[in-house]
Amino acid sequence: MSGSILIVMSWALLAVFIVAFVLRTLRIARLPVHLRWELAPVPHEKGKSHYGGSYLEEYEWWTKPREKDRLNELFFMFQEIVFLKSVWEHNRRLWWFSFPFHIGMYVLIAAAAVLLLGGGLQLAGVESAGSGAWRDAVSLLAGVGFALGGIGALGLLGSRFADPRLRAYTTPAALFNLVLLLAVFASGALALAASQAFAGQVTGFAVALLTADFSVVLPGILAVHVLLALLFLAYLPFSRMMHFVAKYFTYHQVRWDDEPLAAGGRLEREAVRLLNQPVTWAGPHVKSDGRKNWVDVATEEMKT
Amino acid sequence: MSTKLRVIDISKRGDEVLCPVGPEDLAPLPPPYDNPEHEPAWKELSPETKERLVCNLDGVIGLSIPKPTDAAEEEEYVEKFRAGLKKLLEKNNNWTFLQPLLLSLDYCVNCQSCNDACPVFTASGRKEIYRPTYRAEVLRRLVAKYAKPGGKLFARFTHGDIELNWTTITRLYELCYRCTLCRRCAQACPIGLDNGLISRELRKLFSQELGWAPKELHEKGTVLQLEVGSSTGMNAVVVKDNIEFIDEDMEDETGIKVETPWDKEGADVLLIHNAGEILAWPENPGAFAIILNAAGIDWTLSSDGLGYDGVNYGLFYDDVQLARVTVKHAEAAKKLKVNKIVAGECGHQHKALMTISDRVLTGDLAVARESCLPLLEEIVFSGKIEFDPSKNDFPVTLHDPCNIVRNLGIVEPQRRILRYLCPQFREMTPHGVDNYCCGGGSGFAVMSPNNFADWRISVGSRVKMKQILDAFADQPGPEVKKYLCAPCSNCKGQLRDLLQYYDVLEKSNITYGGLVELIVNAMVDVKEPFIKWEMH
Repeated sequence: MSGSILIVMSWALLAVFIVAFVLRTLRIARLPVHLRWELAPVPHEKGKSHYGGSYLEEYEWWTKPREKDRLNELFFMFQEIVFLKSVWEHNRRLWWFSFPFHIGMYVLIAAAAVLLLGGGLQLAGVESAGSGAWRDAVSLLAGVGFALGGIGALGLLGSRFADPRLRAYTTPAALFNLVLLLAVFASGALALAASQAFAGQVTGFAVALLTADFSVVLPGILAVHVLLALLFLAYLPFSRMMHFVAKYFTYHQVRWDDEPLAAGGRLEREAVRLLNQPVTWAGPHVKSDGRKNWVDVATEEMKT
Repeated sequence: MSTKLRVIDISKRGDEVLCPVGPEDLAPLPPPYDNPEHEPAWKELSPETKERLVCNLDGVIGLSIPKPTDAAEEEEYVEKFRAGLKKLLEKNNNWTFLQPLLLSLDYCVNCQSCNDACPVFTASGRKEIYRPTYRAEVLRRLVAKYAKPGGKLFARFTHGDIELNWTTITRLYELCYRCTLCRRCAQACPIGLDNGLISRELRKLFSQELGWAPKELHEKGTVLQLEVGSSTGMNAVVVKDNIEFIDEDMEDETGIKVETPWDKEGADVLLIHNAGEILAWPENPGAFAIILNAAGIDWTLSSDGLGYDGVNYGLFYDDVQLARVTVKHAEAAKKLKVNKIVAGECGHQHKALMTISDRVLTGDLAVARESCLPLLEEIVFSGKIEFDPSKNDFPVTLHDPCNIVRNLGIVEPQRRILRYLCPQFREMTPHGVDNYCCGGGSGFAVMSPNNFADWRISVGSRVKMKQILDAFADQPGPEVKKYLCAPCSNCKGQLRDLLQYYDVLEKSNITYGGLVELIVNAMVDVKEPFIKWEMH
């Protein structure tokens, strides 16, 4: 494959990824404020979260200062993101594959970060950034990432067939996701094994991407890996694998959103705006006529 | 059809029961309730009932949908359902829960981590239809195929297939009333998704678009409450009479003058009971009156509008009814110019009033709202009332109502009271925010049509039954009186039915009641035992 085709395809796939990722994230973030639906334990409840308590335990809670323990929130998320704590506690069988699968991806993200940093520093004239030690680190991280990710993906794929709990709920898309990722990990591992200059080649490709160097040439297996990885990135925002973004919102804006309404505050203004939207539900008791808003239907006299 | 049941099987047309369930399928209970032959038989559905009503999910009829007269009627409801699916995704019609719903629909990877958290699924012998992900997956597929652009082209690849027809919607309607909305599954989800919410959203779609809702929650629930003031049917005159009788009874029993204040303008506290307490457990409002008067609290009940019944069944099935009821509660407080509303021992009232309605009650309706539990804790430890904990020297365990504990995080006030006043207090396992539902959650406690009572007790309450027996495992026999404390009306209703169903008072001598009854029982000024060791 010529360098120019590779570079243009990579740009296109990266552009799709960035635009789709941002749009999908914004789509969740811009959804209207909803009714409170918190779920204990809420880790920012200072001094109470260890047993699931909340500020509503306090006598006349609205007269007391509310202290939030953001550090505990971070600690909770750290355990969830890095160790998949909930999966460990509630689905141990799956954890043995899900954990290496996710850790493999984290390690590959770290490898990509080191690689991009090296490329950037090289462009800035820091010669040592492309040194042997730097490249060894990238290769080591990539190797570990491909191995863990591949083991995890293979295990998860097998579980989708072997585990009756999962089999009945496995969609073609779920299998495609795992096969695609397995192909990314496998092609990466093959490319790494095929060339001792793996890190240098990938760094060179990153530099070529940034400088529009159409003369770049990659070994065949590495070119396949790069395209598969970028194809995965471009596809990611359209799949359920965006759950890592959703997770931020499910925790911070649903489970842990315990912010009470304050007179004249942002929440009250937003609630008033939402309550003034039209209701068109057709159930006979709703008595909406297409023009009535939520305030109208909630306050109309129901006594016969 | 129950083995290897697939999600798409819900669409198989016809009257065949998709996944039969019966007493023989259920998880075993501890001794002496472990003999399957002693498991009560379920009520037989008459041929006439089966002929008249839809019964195609699990052989249980909780909702009494008449069979359609013709294909046109079927199609009419299918079209309404399709319209409702779209409205569920609209900002104006469903801003109330749109973000949590879309997150739960769009990002589940079906890892099944939630499965074992569900007491209905585990107690039923792991029936596939009760797996927390089953009904969620059905809705997910329906939304993908019928409510999103290009759904018919891509949904089969992205979500798997499903067919929208009369059988699908009637099975799904029953199925969303096989979940108690306890939200244990949501606690277990690594992504933070909520299959309980999906059950509620389905109920909402059926109610707000098709006009389908259990009559116990709708006609006899919110509609009756909005018409006469209470879902019990009591109007203001009747409720005042009943409270007067209760005051007299309390005075006779305790020797303490009991007077419940009504409509006192400017009072500090407007106490709102679940009015079911007044009829079914009069000792509960009576005990509240004794405690609040003894502590010198400036309190009142309200006879205005819905001000004397804190029930809000809208929480379980309908946002419009939820809003209508909660506005009436706030208006009663506003009219009396009280400082705060205090929710009595009723779990769903707590949740509806304190958090769910928080973004509905704006402006001058935003009255301060508090649980009775911190207030009771404040009173018990204030020194204003003298207690003798030895009067409560019998085994006591605590049931945590999901709506108070898991959903609001009110965990410790009731425990501090019990640890102080009940020398033999012991916890269930698990407890607190990890508790199990009583089985009567989401309105089930008041629903008993056809054979549904058998289902909600023997399936819905099964794990709770085991927890209760385990908590008293050191003194299991009938020779020791034991008390199950449940500070929630709906939970008490369900636990009453459960204990009667398995004859627990006779076999194990376990009775049940609220928290305030234990507090009054420990009061030095109350000379005779306040707790009656009988099933009531």
